[in-house]
Amino acid sequence: MSRAVARFVVAQPLGAAGALVVLILIAVALLAPLLAPHGPKETGFAPYVAPSREFPMGTDQVGRDMLSRVIWGARLSLYVGVASVLFGITLGALWGAVTAYVGGGADIGSQRVVDCLMALPPIILALSLMAALGQSVNNVILALVILLIPTAARTVRSVALGIAATPFIEAAEAAGASRARIVFRHLVPNCLASYIVLVTTNISYAIVVEASLSFIGAGAPPDEPSWGGMLAAGIQALETAPWMVFFPGLAISLAVFGLNLLGDSIRDLTDPRLRGGLG
Amino acid sequence: MSLSRHMALAALAAALLVITGTSADAQEKPRTGGILNWFDYGDPGRLDVHAESPLVVQQATAGVYSGLLQYDPDEPSKIIGDLAERWTASPDGKTYTFHLRKNVKWHDGQPFSSADVKASFDRVLNPEFKSPKCGAALKPMVASVEAVDPNTVEFKLKFAAAPFLPSVASAWCRVAAKHILAKYGDLNAPEAQIGTGPFKFKKYERGSVIEWEKNPNYFITGLPYLDGVKQFILVGGPTQLAAAKASKVMLWDAWPPMRKTQADELARARTDVDIYQAPINTVFFVYLNAKKPPFDNPDMRRAVNLAIDRQDLVSKALEGAGVPCAILDPKLVGDFALPLDEVAKAPGCRQPKDADIAEAKKLVEKHYPGGIDVEVAVRQVGNYVDRGQLVIAQLRKIGIRGTMKTHESAAGYAAFGKGDFTIIASQDRAMDINEPSGVFHIAYTTDSGSNYGQYSDPKVDEMAERALKETNRDKRKQAYWELQRYLLAKGDHASIAVGWVEGWFFKDKKLRNYKPGLTTYDNNTFMKVWIAQ
Repeated sequence: MSRAVARFVVAQPLGAAGALVVLILIAVALLAPLLAPHGPKETGFAPYVAPSREFPMGTDQVGRDMLSRVIWGARLSLYVGVASVLFGITLGALWGAVTAYVGGGADIGSQRVVDCLMALPPIILALSLMAALGQSVNNVILALVILLIPTAARTVRSVALGIAATPFIEAAEAAGASRARIVFRHLVPNCLASYIVLVTTNISYAIVVEASLSFIGAGAPPDEPSWGGMLAAGIQALETAPWMVFFPGLAISLAVFGLNLLGDSIRDLTDPRLRGGLG
Repeated sequence: MSLSRHMALAALAAALLVITGTSADAQEKPRTGGILNWFDYGDPGRLDVHAESPLVVQQATAGVYSGLLQYDPDEPSKIIGDLAERWTASPDGKTYTFHLRKNVKWHDGQPFSSADVKASFDRVLNPEFKSPKCGAALKPMVASVEAVDPNTVEFKLKFAAAPFLPSVASAWCRVAAKHILAKYGDLNAPEAQIGTGPFKFKKYERGSVIEWEKNPNYFITGLPYLDGVKQFILVGGPTQLAAAKASKVMLWDAWPPMRKTQADELARARTDVDIYQAPINTVFFVYLNAKKPPFDNPDMRRAVNLAIDRQDLVSKALEGAGVPCAILDPKLVGDFALPLDEVAKAPGCRQPKDADIAEAKKLVEKHYPGGIDVEVAVRQVGNYVDRGQLVIAQLRKIGIRGTMKTHESAAGYAAFGKGDFTIIASQDRAMDINEPSGVFHIAYTTDSGSNYGQYSDPKVDEMAERALKETNRDKRKQAYWELQRYLLAKGDHASIAVGWVEGWFFKDKKLRNYKPGLTTYDNNTFMKVWIAQ
């Protein structure tokens, strides 16, 4: 195990750095109740207190400890990112794999639906969905799931089309395997590499979309410790309390940077062309 | 008028004199031309000043219309004629006769007459017509309006009422054209904005800008000085402040006021503005829906009344600029307001909060042992979202777990007006008149214009009516003190006064002859305002 880690660090130093950031992010999210000195919604302090020993990241406009909110924000960001990507990419991947194998009218029809969804600018689509669904963290996840499904469906379909034309699928058909068995036993497992890459690269995307929605007031409710929401509040007092923008901005940047490095690294490892130095 | 009221008004007038540089203005010759740029905090959507209560509606149309009376643009504490040249009151104070200006024309060229006055006031006084500002103020007092002849109108009152003239002079009681009301049915459309005021309604681009242009046929020759007024619709503090810092707006004398941090930021960015602090005759309310669970239960309303920490809210949300707890603000109505030291001892207001919080918690636990989840609504204007978060944090201490729901401004008004809410965490209500009766007919009596919680207590109605009818000043003061004590002691009203709002404003030093009104939005006709070179 330690050898494998060492090999990974040597082969993918940037990926390893990304993995370290992601591990820290996960640890902070999981240990938020222990790490945060105060509740994320506790308003018992003076507003706009500059960073100090008592409040290392200062306080916000209603007197909440910024450090506690940034720590709890990691949990919210990770929850939104992981949940939306797992649901969205999984559903999209299944959709892509199944329709690629079934083909015909079902495939053409479903791809036109994907076209329609992809034709809409993602943030506009997300905004419309949030306006229709109402503000809550779970609705942000639902909006993100709807955003992610077409991307995953289109990507996995293209992979699945290639796999469906391979001899082992023909062999399975000749052996009398049912369509469901072929899809779930043979096709889907062979799309797993693409699936993993989609998951890792889209968590950061989901975190950025959540932060963007919250920044414009259409994401998580304002009292939830969302990094985007914190940025939006900070903009109101940019000159008076720049720390309100700096720390959540830094948290978003670090999280996205780490996830992107890790995602790129996993893509490199799973892509035979890149792995073989052909890319 | 009491001595303290006189003193308060004199002090305010003196302060405004310094701010607005009246003595300097008087020496300069007014310059004609130029466009005054300022802003609305939200998109009004609807423009019917008789039927709506958002301040943006009043602001959007103020210079287009005239009233029978108005607050003097040169001396905002004084009531003077507008469409009425003069008026007389009968010895018993129950009949007022207004003699109208002659040869006044509507913006579409039609002649103005007493029929227009009657049509306007009949409209707001109609029991079937919801008029949350002008109507709410006048309905308890006015029995009928008659056009005696084309230039004379007579108001019959139900009783001699001190707030009558201030209410008629309010910027919400503008006179609309009878033929326009007949043609459009209401005053919501931009095409229906036909007034007799100093400016004509020129353009309304939804979500963007409202423009007025000079009325060349205004009935006061030589006025207005400005060629026009532009009100940009700027939603949100950062946008408004950015526009102010970039010199895109010349005036900030509308709700919401700047907070201290914003005023400091502006002072660093611009030296060509006068920045001043002032009360704006507006109360920050938390509303509970008394018609829906859980706040149809008096115990639950009492729990919230006890739990809301007014001092903390004023300190944080208003950055200390406000008068917490008071039902009436002594700075505005003098000794009609209950002394603040007495108010500070009332349940819900007293500090420290520990005993009140413990009692509130017991009341919640009695009805909802595991606590309760509620939706807490705010409009996305001013810093209501911040205020909402503070209110949610305070309620969490007593087992009421709030989730915030935000509304676009006009959509929020629509929802609240229909009773479609559980808690409104923040809604500032501006008084129409600088008079003690104002606040009770805005938010506390059953028929009050902003009784969003639909609370009704016959005793409150009876006490408010008695105080309104009282002509002896000392007895009237006692009546209002009793009413305030009753409301504070009972502590289950659905309109919870957090505090009277104060804040910071500015005006460009080039702007001349602008005197802020004593109530928000009076004196925004800009009829005498001009821009120096």
